[in-house]
Amino acid sequence: MTQPPEWPWLIDLYFFLGGIAGASYALAAIADNFGSPEDRGVARTGYILALALAPVLALLLIVDLGMPGRFFHMLWVPKPSTAIGEGAINVLGFHVKPYSPMSVGAWGLGFFGAFAAAGAYLSATERPDRLALRRTLGLFGGLFAFFLPAYTGQLLSATAQPLWMDSRLGGALFLLVAATGAGATLALILQLREGGPARTIAKLRRTYTWCLILQAVVLAAYLWNVSGGTPKTVRALQLLLSGPYALPFWGGAVILGVAVPLILEFRDGFPRGYRQTAGATLTAAAILILLGGFLTKFLIFAAGQALGLTA
Amino acid sequence: MAKALAMFTDTSVCIGCRACQVACKQWNQLSWEEPVWTGSYQNQPHFTDKTWRLVRFIEKKDAKGDPKWLLMSDVCKHCVQAGCLEACPTGAIYRTEFGTVNVNQDICNGCRYCVSACPFGVISFNTGTGRVNKCTFCNDRIHEGMPTACAKTCPTDSIQFGFRDELVVKARKRLEVLRQQGDKDAQLYGVDDDVVGGLNAFFLLLDRPEVYGLPPKPVPLPQRKVPLDSGWSILSAVGVAIGAVVAFRERGQSS
Repeated sequence: MTQPPEWPWLIDLYFFLGGIAGASYALAAIADNFGSPEDRGVARTGYILALALAPVLALLLIVDLGMPGRFFHMLWVPKPSTAIGEGAINVLGFHVKPYSPMSVGAWGLGFFGAFAAAGAYLSATERPDRLALRRTLGLFGGLFAFFLPAYTGQLLSATAQPLWMDSRLGGALFLLVAATGAGATLALILQLREGGPARTIAKLRRTYTWCLILQAVVLAAYLWNVSGGTPKTVRALQLLLSGPYALPFWGGAVILGVAVPLILEFRDGFPRGYRQTAGATLTAAAILILLGGFLTKFLIFAAGQALGLTA
Repeated sequence: MAKALAMFTDTSVCIGCRACQVACKQWNQLSWEEPVWTGSYQNQPHFTDKTWRLVRFIEKKDAKGDPKWLLMSDVCKHCVQAGCLEACPTGAIYRTEFGTVNVNQDICNGCRYCVSACPFGVISFNTGTGRVNKCTFCNDRIHEGMPTACAKTCPTDSIQFGFRDELVVKARKRLEVLRQQGDKDAQLYGVDDDVVGGLNAFFLLLDRPEVYGLPPKPVPLPQRKVPLDSGWSILSAVGVAIGAVVAFRERGQSS
């Protein structure tokens, strides 16, 4: 018998928003480094969105702690014991455990925040030297940016909880959900601006549709992977596939969140020559992607804790 | 490191008196909890922040179809490869020189990641203090050369305390006796390293581990798959990056 950590939905909100923040920065850095000058709006928007979300992410985690005032213990403690773990690294009270996703994640989130702040600050003006620095920082920050959505999925997998413990693709799935959602968010934001550049929005649509295809493949692989798990895992999986969570999962996460947006995007011209780059189709597809992505993460998060204390 | 200490719980001689459960509560000054009806004399149904030794009453039918109990005094296993310890992001959970695992109450900030990482559902969150608690292996007693309170109290020596290597020898001998008496189902749990590297609180069971609510062997350390899983995550990041780079490098694409 295991005990669930009883993390509230606030923590799943952290998973979702953290994914959007991280993937937005990553896409911003790619647009910054590989796109044309007209794509710079993606970079600016992505960096600023990442920075805007960063304090919210920290707050969500701190509020959930049993002793929120001690949140910094995840990074530094006054007198650390030398016997805190097999691979633990301990320097002057600063510590990290490479095998604990939560430990590495605390540091990763911190570094990500710093890179997001730098990217947003360097987006305040269009001076060439600032742009060059922003691009370079974006490449390094991009590593932490990709880390942010992936580590939360990995965090769930490195536990003894049903469903989570038997998934080897949790990190991959969470990263892809985040990438799709971030692409959709950036496209929506750019579309909202009067005269958002048509070619840039088309590039974003191509990107997030590609990510959505990967997400669909990995979701299928994830389900197949966990279906071979322990009896408790299979019971938790049944909640998703045929039990109380089946309707939001198949209806929300799969059909509305993946199938319908794919149909809309292919009909509109993916991957070449969109009939129109902005408008109602983009809005519908993007909103459904975000809804489906949120449901995907939330239902996995909930199903792992739903069996509670039953053997 | 000093020689590893251990507790060997021989469920074949447990009488379900629960003196161990009481002694633990008394020594550690753990407060009263609202009793929970489980259908048997077992109370609580699972480990809590105030129940660190828990006698399990498992009902089954014997060969003639009559009901009987399997009795087991369950406890924190102080695993050689401890999921709680490897998970803890603050470094609050540490290992003593005796091989036992404890929680530093001055450092824990109540994130509950350890709760999710224990394969046995032992470590528990205390809503009053905002931190986690579990059996300390009577850390204060063993540092004074005393046995754990539960072992000291047990009237049938179901719970034995001592150096791990000596107790392992005793456990194997006891298993041999039971086998010779015709008990084919008797087995050791946590003596060998197939259960999270070995347990410092190991058991002689009279049935399969699943019957007792224990995970069946082999029990891996939850964190051991992190490197492999990370490979898949990196691959998916590469997939995203390739798609995005290709999309953004396109020049003069008509819409």
